[in-house]
Amino acid sequence: MAEEFEPKIVAFLCKWCSSAGSDLAGVSRMEYPSNVVPITVMCSGSISPLYIFSAFNRGADGVLVSGCHPGDCHYIKGNFYARRRIALVKKLLDYIGLEPQRFQMSWVSAAEGKKYTQIIKDFVKELKPLGPQTKLRRNL
Amino acid sequence: MVNLDNLKKEANRILKEEKVKYIIGYKKSSNGLFTVPAFIKNPEEVEKLTWDPTCVYNLTRFLVDEKRKKAKEKEPDERPVGLIVKGCDSRALVVLLQEKFINRDDVYILGVSCEETGVLDEKKLAKTLKGKKVKNIEFGKNDNFVVTTKDGKTEIPAKEILAERCLECNANFPVISDILFGEKVKRKSDNPFESLEKFESLSKEERWTFWKEQLDKCIRCYACRSVCPMCYCDECVADTINFAVIAETTAEEKAQKIKWVEKSPVTSENFVYHLVRAIHLAGRCIDCGECERACPLDIPLRLLNKKLEKEAKELFGYEAGFDADVPSLVSSFKDEDPEDFIR
Repeated sequence: MAEEFEPKIVAFLCKWCSSAGSDLAGVSRMEYPSNVVPITVMCSGSISPLYIFSAFNRGADGVLVSGCHPGDCHYIKGNFYARRRIALVKKLLDYIGLEPQRFQMSWVSAAEGKKYTQIIKDFVKELKPLGPQTKLRRNL
Repeated sequence: MVNLDNLKKEANRILKEEKVKYIIGYKKSSNGLFTVPAFIKNPEEVEKLTWDPTCVYNLTRFLVDEKRKKAKEKEPDERPVGLIVKGCDSRALVVLLQEKFINRDDVYILGVSCEETGVLDEKKLAKTLKGKKVKNIEFGKNDNFVVTTKDGKTEIPAKEILAERCLECNANFPVISDILFGEKVKRKSDNPFESLEKFESLSKEERWTFWKEQLDKCIRCYACRSVCPMCYCDECVADTINFAVIAETTAEEKAQKIKWVEKSPVTSENFVYHLVRAIHLAGRCIDCGECERACPLDIPLRLLNKKLEKEAKELFGYEAGFDADVPSLVSSFKDEDPEDFIR
């Protein structure tokens, strides 16, 4: 039997909310797919679009950007800037023909371990039928 | 219509009164048809200045070089630079002012209005004339271009040979200027995103095939970056590849110099380069079309930048290059920004 395709997800989580949320999921022993590689950044607003393109370039099948809920940002307004920037990146990736499901954004607070696991579960479920991401993958 | 004599008179005056260091404008090239950028230092040279439909270049780019040059001089000449700008160029200038890259006192703006016409597209002209050699092109009456070939003068409606960007332009006269030539007539603008919407109506796979084909061609000559007035960073993310790793290179140095994009012109790397460039120009690109014109491989780069221009307008109600006092697109936000895509 052929092995099922397991997508590789790169998740950029902000240190103050989403990363703590994923920690909560861990310490609460909630089960969720192991496809995700979390990268903690200081704020969702600090995520350069280049990080996202680079992740796809180095072989990610999906990229998740997650930050604090609007109004909860540790740096007051970082996630508002992120919201604007990520909206543009999402439109651009869709425009050049990448499947829009491959790039997602979410708000996860430090108390939402449950929501975090649900997001990852849904994300993996959506990526599986798409197969590996080859469009932007480096092929040197 | 722009009165060239008035333009020359004003240029002569500011040079004589030593109000400006020099004037950047257009002059006829050695082939006698197309124009090239001209740097006028003496009042005697003012006669060289010209204004016709072949003045396609965005001269704002030279302000970037001027600033670099000035920074190196020990006793810099603090006088402003005279600059001839069209509508689109003036918007580039507004963005540079908005980003505080240049000061308003650094430049004396001689604005020229395109009125109902604009600048021509070389390829369209060649097609219309079926290869006939052109001797001269002038602005004519009733929005026509007067083209002189060996068979004599013919009038061609401007619409037929205008550059694509001019047909979609919605700022046909300078937004800011110290002195304006020509009239402020608002163009009866059709759909400013016509070519884009046609492309957007294609399916996702068709769009992907198109971009793959186009960006495959890229040889990474960086002409688009060199010609762009907005690409003024001292160090570009695409250039960190120049960093040489030797035995003495410390881990810290290596960590600070990440190779984001490989130099090799392969599809995946070209995509990263062009996507990053497009995102960096979001809310800044004023559609002067220089990248597309300079591209030796005819990659339709305007389509990429135009998309983000459209999204900025539709999602955030932001238009680049009209007001130097508002915060830029990505350094501001509104509470009601869309977030329906966020989980």
